[in-house]
Amino acid sequence: MTLLKRMYDWIDVRLGARELVDKELFGYLLPRNINVWYSMGSILLFIFAFQVVTGILLLIFYVPDSEKAFGSVTHIMNNVPFGWLIRMCHVVGSNMMVLVLLFHMISVLFMGSYKRPRELNWLTGFIIFNLVMGISLTGYLLPWSQLSFWATTVATNSVGTIPVIGQYLVEFLRGGKLVGPATLGRFYALHVAVIPLTIAALVGLHLFLLERIGVSTPPFGLKDTKNNWQSDKFRYEGHPDGIPFFPNYALQDMTSIAVYLAFFLAIVFFDPYLFFPKDAFIAANPYQTPAHIKPEWYFLANYQTLKIFPSEFLGLAVQGVAMTFLALLPFIDRGNERHPLKRPLFMACSVGGILLWIGLMIWGHYS
Amino acid sequence: MENSSRRKFLGLCLGGVAAAATGAVIYPVYQYLAPQAGSSSEKKVVIPEKDVPEGEAKFFEFAGASAVLIRTRQGGLIALSAVCTHLGCIVQWEKNKQEFLCPCHGGLYTAEGTVISGPPPKPLAKLPFTVENGNITIG
Ligand code: FES
Repeated sequence: MTLLKRMYDWIDVRLGARELVDKELFGYLLPRNINVWYSMGSILLFIFAFQVVTGILLLIFYVPDSEKAFGSVTHIMNNVPFGWLIRMCHVVGSNMMVLVLLFHMISVLFMGSYKRPRELNWLTGFIIFNLVMGISLTGYLLPWSQLSFWATTVATNSVGTIPVIGQYLVEFLRGGKLVGPATLGRFYALHVAVIPLTIAALVGLHLFLLERIGVSTPPFGLKDTKNNWQSDKFRYEGHPDGIPFFPNYALQDMTSIAVYLAFFLAIVFFDPYLFFPKDAFIAANPYQTPAHIKPEWYFLANYQTLKIFPSEFLGLAVQGVAMTFLALLPFIDRGNERHPLKRPLFMACSVGGILLWIGLMIWGHYS
Repeated sequence: MENSSRRKFLGLCLGGVAAAATGAVIYPVYQYLAPQAGSSSEKKVVIPEKDVPEGEAKFFEFAGASAVLIRTRQGGLIALSAVCTHLGCIVQWEKNKQEFLCPCHGGLYTAEGTVISGPPPKPLAKLPFTVENGNITIG
């Protein structure tokens, strides 16, 4: 123990570690009425780190070559000790990452935390959300199964409905007329290098903004749920009579991560193929389209939207408009009220939107 | 007093759970990364005699490492490890001189694997082999 203490003293003298800990952990005060939804971000950080670690482990045996990719993934699943576990964790983890991200966004929506002065937090978060969709889409191709191949064909094809440049854009995305070895090469680079690095940088920015602006106060259990921000100058939103991050809220974060892990491991061990239709186990064959190719659950609503509009371009445009609206939400919804029950229009729109999204997803699944 | 012993007990439980969880993560990851048995098995290697004409050398893989089979000008067969005993480079067969040269630091060996000059401290390891019906079996 004294050795540990002396090492800590050594660091403290040089870096002022105690002062830092006092300020950032014990002295970092959070609103008294903070709730469990504020721990979604910590879960996401955990998942992201976990995906990076399992991803690096998979890189050891994965071969990004259209001739060998499927074989290398099969080898990981069947021959490498615990290869199945690492891969299943990566696959299930990617789905959970999207799911928890949705929870995070929905909670921010309902608590009105995206409002001034936190527009940039929302915007960076929204970009991260899009990148997570992108990393999922590119990762989907890498096993080079029938599912990978045809899901990517369909997904890249939808870009082709953009007028004038659409067809060229599709070819640019694929690196050729059709999905093929060239597509695998670029998706691989995007999946293992470009997108993860960008996500990491944006997560850094997102956390910096959180730290700099201060944690928002949840609107629940308060008399005054108005947003009292003044736009004359920068003010850090502190919570002088709040609870410390450490140990109080750190414990909540750990609890949330543990609960998440329970769900995650339950899927990994009891229903590992939940996210695997049977085409995921057949090597890609560019000459044979399997019946009923469907995207991942979180793309089903997009897929169904494309189908129900008379022109594909219209379907794509509607989605573009919806996404732009969501990205710019804090600039559009400028009301001061933050409590969801006192924002009837917002409530109607968001609940309606979520139900519509789920409805389209179910429709897409059964159509 | 009662409180502090309860605290200690709970702390121990927590530590135990944490240790078990760490083990449950490290064990599969270690197994995943550990070299796989069978990839460098001690399998016997069979080479047809006609593949090694007089004065020539044939390189092959044996027990996960490089090995070489040579037929001297006199017709004798020799099987050696091709791994230089200095720092592990692979020796080359100099057909004209009937010697092994290690390109890394210029170690020189005879066809039998004895050191002629250079840094190698030991002769090349000899491998056991048998010849039967025109087939050479190493191992
Ligand atoms: S490794 Fe062969 S001479 Fe140094």
